[in-house]
Amino acid sequence: MKTRILSYRKNFTLIVSFVVLISILLIIVLLVSYRLTGKAVENEFAAAKVDVLEKTIAPYNTFFQNKIPEISFYQGFLDSSSAAKYAQSLIKTYPFIKRILFYDAQVSNRDVKDGLRTSNFSLGLKGLYQFGKNVSKDSVSLFDKSKPGSLSLKNGDEFNKIGLKLASYISNVDTAKVLATDEIFSVFYNISNNKITYMNVPRREDIKIYKDLMLGNLAQSPFYEQDVFSFELDPYQLSIKNTHPELYQQVSIKPLSFELGLQSPNILTTEIALPLAFSNFKLYFSSDISFLNQEIRRRFLPVGFGIIAIYGILLLLMFLISRNLKVNQKLFSLQYDFINNFTHEFKTPVAVIKIAGNNILNTKDLSELELKRYGKILDEEADKLNDLMNRLLSFTQIENGSIKINNEEINLAVFSQNIIDAFQLKYNDYDIQLDIKKLNSFKSDPVLLSSIFYNLIENAYKYANHGSKFLKISIFKRQKNIVFSFKDKGIGIPKAELENIFRKFYRIQSRYNQQGSVGLGLAFCKELVTFMNGSINVESKPGKGSAFEVILPLG
Amino acid sequence: MRSCSKKYYWIILLLLAACKTPADVEIIPVESFFATASQYNYRISPNGKNLAFLKNYNGKVNVFVRTVDDTTSLRLTSFTDVSVRSLNWVGDDRLFCEKEQDSTKTFNAFLIGKNGNSYVEVNAMPGAKINILNNTVHHGSQILITSNDKNQSLFDVYQLNIETGNKRLFVKNPGNIFLWFADNTGNVNLGLGGDGVNETIYFRKNNQDAFKAVISNNFKSTLQPLAFTKNKRFIYALSNLNRDKLALVEFDLFTGKEAKLIYQNPQADISEVFSAGADAVPVAITYELAKRQTHLLDKKYQSIYDDITKKLPNREIQIIDKDTLAQHLILKTYTDKNPGAYFIYDINKKSLTKLSAINNKINPDEMCEMKPISYKSTDGLTIYGYLTLPQNSKGENLPCVVMPHSGPSIRNNWGFSAEVQFLANQGYAVLQMNYRGSAGYGKAFQTAGFKNWGTKMQDDIYYGVKWLIKERIADPKKVAIFGYGFGGYSALNQAIMYPTTYKCAASYSGYINLFTYIKGFPAYFKPYKLMLNEIIGNPEADIEYLKRSSPVFQVDKIKTPILIAQGGKDAKVNVNETNQFVKELRKRKISVEYILNENETQLFKDPEHKLALYKQLGAFLDKHLKTQ
Repeated sequence: MKTRILSYRKNFTLIVSFVVLISILLIIVLLVSYRLTGKAVENEFAAAKVDVLEKTIAPYNTFFQNKIPEISFYQGFLDSSSAAKYAQSLIKTYPFIKRILFYDAQVSNRDVKDGLRTSNFSLGLKGLYQFGKNVSKDSVSLFDKSKPGSLSLKNGDEFNKIGLKLASYISNVDTAKVLATDEIFSVFYNISNNKITYMNVPRREDIKIYKDLMLGNLAQSPFYEQDVFSFELDPYQLSIKNTHPELYQQVSIKPLSFELGLQSPNILTTEIALPLAFSNFKLYFSSDISFLNQEIRRRFLPVGFGIIAIYGILLLLMFLISRNLKVNQKLFSLQYDFINNFTHEFKTPVAVIKIAGNNILNTKDLSELELKRYGKILDEEADKLNDLMNRLLSFTQIENGSIKINNEEINLAVFSQNIIDAFQLKYNDYDIQLDIKKLNSFKSDPVLLSSIFYNLIENAYKYANHGSKFLKISIFKRQKNIVFSFKDKGIGIPKAELENIFRKFYRIQSRYNQQGSVGLGLAFCKELVTFMNGSINVESKPGKGSAFEVILPLG
Repeated sequence: MRSCSKKYYWIILLLLAACKTPADVEIIPVESFFATASQYNYRISPNGKNLAFLKNYNGKVNVFVRTVDDTTSLRLTSFTDVSVRSLNWVGDDRLFCEKEQDSTKTFNAFLIGKNGNSYVEVNAMPGAKINILNNTVHHGSQILITSNDKNQSLFDVYQLNIETGNKRLFVKNPGNIFLWFADNTGNVNLGLGGDGVNETIYFRKNNQDAFKAVISNNFKSTLQPLAFTKNKRFIYALSNLNRDKLALVEFDLFTGKEAKLIYQNPQADISEVFSAGADAVPVAITYELAKRQTHLLDKKYQSIYDDITKKLPNREIQIIDKDTLAQHLILKTYTDKNPGAYFIYDINKKSLTKLSAINNKINPDEMCEMKPISYKSTDGLTIYGYLTLPQNSKGENLPCVVMPHSGPSIRNNWGFSAEVQFLANQGYAVLQMNYRGSAGYGKAFQTAGFKNWGTKMQDDIYYGVKWLIKERIADPKKVAIFGYGFGGYSALNQAIMYPTTYKCAASYSGYINLFTYIKGFPAYFKPYKLMLNEIIGNPEADIEYLKRSSPVFQVDKIKTPILIAQGGKDAKVNVNETNQFVKELRKRKISVEYILNENETQLFKDPEHKLALYKQLGAFLDKHLKTQ
């Protein structure tokens, strides 16, 4: 079994390889997505033509599906004037209708001059009219029943075609059945090159009558009206709706046989056939390759930005992780130092106690004086240890927030003097001045406040050269706060270090820091002050001294 | 476990409470409303001793006979292929019965003895039809029938031997008579002829003479012969020549002029005349205002009628048949809530006996009252109609179905209507109205509808809705319209003209294109063309009006959900147009429910189709009127 090695691991190579990897990935993704965009544009170029076709022939479709069958609704009752109205409205709405021929027809079993006759069934022509943009008013009528035989072959062509269809249908029809949609399409429509001819669909009963006329030998029948319309269409008048101008530079209607010459290799083309009546024509789409490339780039842009943004976010995350790792590492080493220092601090009193204990144990006949000295030594060193442990404890307590503030009225003069006396007893070369302005008492936790005093006074002594161990403590009111100012003439703190001194386990590299300091004092002070809703700040000039200000809210 | 079942119990209780309609009206199945009578066509023998009637036997209608006093009946026939259409006594011992169309499209007939003996077939040529003209037996064994054996468009009169079934041509149709009248001596010297537009009375003084035209009148007025008077120079006839309302008159065949006015009502056309006695003298006259009114011309019949009304109070009474000596009457009675029953009344004993109910699945207590109403239309013309409110309703703020009648030249009557009761039972107030152009209110009212199909007649319907809303009967947000034939045409037109008034519209064989409707007549005969030009519109000159009045041209104006029921063989509608219409509506994202029965004509004959239609109509109205 492999044991996990719990030790520092190097992150640098990992980070570097990660960055390299995602950078490679970035390039691949960019390339692939660019390709795909290109493919998509190409596919769309081929596919979107259906859309263009649909939009372009939409008016034709309404014409074909609604307007033409409407003729049947009139049941053959249309005459030259009502047909003109109908035709004019179509010509106005649909520019692709070039000319409309209206054959006013009659079915009977009588002999007819102009029209069509099979067995006893005849489809005679009452009149032929033409309507169109270029048809002048006096040329509307092309044929009139009153002038038999004057119908030209050309004009009668469409009429004869649809008439034959009707006659052949009538001769075979099963009149018991309902007329099916596909039958309607095959019998009553005649669609050829740019031409649609339509005859109104008779009712079932009419078809029955027509069949009887054709097959029976009946007396002369009345006339049954049928209307035939022939629409001449111009595909070039279809208005092209290029719904994808970003794909198609040019859309045009071309004959089915049209092909682009080989001399323009940089043009991409596609085509789609027009529906039935226009089946000799197609919609022709062309675009320059550079135009399409531009479109590819346009589409790729947001994708590319997206990918790069993701890449950026990944890098940023990486940076943040590595920075955190670094900080953690620093912290780790600080804690390590701290333990080191602490051990050192513990070591001295423990060593002294050990020696004192040893001496007492090994020396016979210790004099009363010697015993007392050892006793005092033991007592003092135990105090030191106790003090160390207390500090450590209260620090952790504050950090965990498990301390409660016990506010009580503090007489500032007495409180400060007691502490100063204690220090002056300890260090007889320490000159401490106290200046309290206009204040007698202050409500706060005496234990916490004394901790702050102790730390700052201790520091001022510690970080001062011999002969300049001086501290001036001023207590005064500023606005709604009370300010405790501690001004010394010590070694001072370099400007660069000022912001670090309140950090945990931070010590300014100096020759004094072996003097029983663990770099916890100021951090502890800051924690305490913050805990008491106050603030602490420092001003310092290296070589001249430092001034600490503790500001606590009054009341 | 126990608490669990308790919980379910509560849920079930809640569900039950939710299912009940607020007014506690039980929803009756559609089948009950549209059930047909099981026994009908009661005929009493001339001697007043036997009753013959039609009744279902193994899925087809067959002939049954019973005595007047004994209810046990004898089945005479057992047809399983073709039903019997109608029956008549010919003498006291034999029946002449007409059958429905068979597979060769022929309407045959037969003779049969009252005990089921000596069955004789009377067959027509394939595709032809035999009808009885007069059931009085002359010369011992001859009755008169008509048949179109020789020419399918013309009916000739034949003498039929009731024993042998042999028929002999008696009167040849001179070419244009479509209705024959026999006198009490068995001669046929009167005919009604015409081309469908102008009607002409033809008469000859004796069998040897040729028929001569006596008088012609055009389609705007009516002269309807009923029977000869005792003096064969005169006939009883219904006429509105030179007057507005149809009146009973004596008409002089020699002079071609009205000889005597017998009865006329200032408000309504005469709808029925009941004659009695050997000379067939009219004794009772019926006309309809809000309800049927009977006017007696004879004191004896007045007392008979009074006695019947005393025994059957608050009911509409219709006399169907009588025996020769007028000892017995066969009656049909009904009310708005009761589909009714057949009765036999013995004049001497003054006793009334019920024969059978018309629809015994209907409990009159569960049906709704039909109230005559009236309102003013757009130009101040008074429109009469009927309002049926659902049971237990306060008559306020109700979902409404407007039901214009078909025709248009018929009218709604007070009486039992399965359609109306079905809708009322579903919780709707049903409004029917006799818009202008309806029959029964006189010539002027009827001709007021001419060429106004898509205009004033529609106003009349719309003003009915306005009236409903003004009277606070209708919830203005819950009005639907449903109709058959012209009613369906109106439903679609109302939806087109007033898209915000109606929540939905249902058309049952509604005409969607007036051009097609006009084409349905043989319009190439000039008189027809003129008539249609006047009644509906000239398809060439009035093309704009006809387009505006034809729903098929107005698809883009329809915004409301539509239900369309259509038979594929309806002669008044081209089903391809209806298909196109539905397709176009769907393309416009209008919700359309389409019932297409390929083999049905205008009125659905197959009971399955009929029930399916009303079920779907119920669901359609439910969906649009009952949900918020």
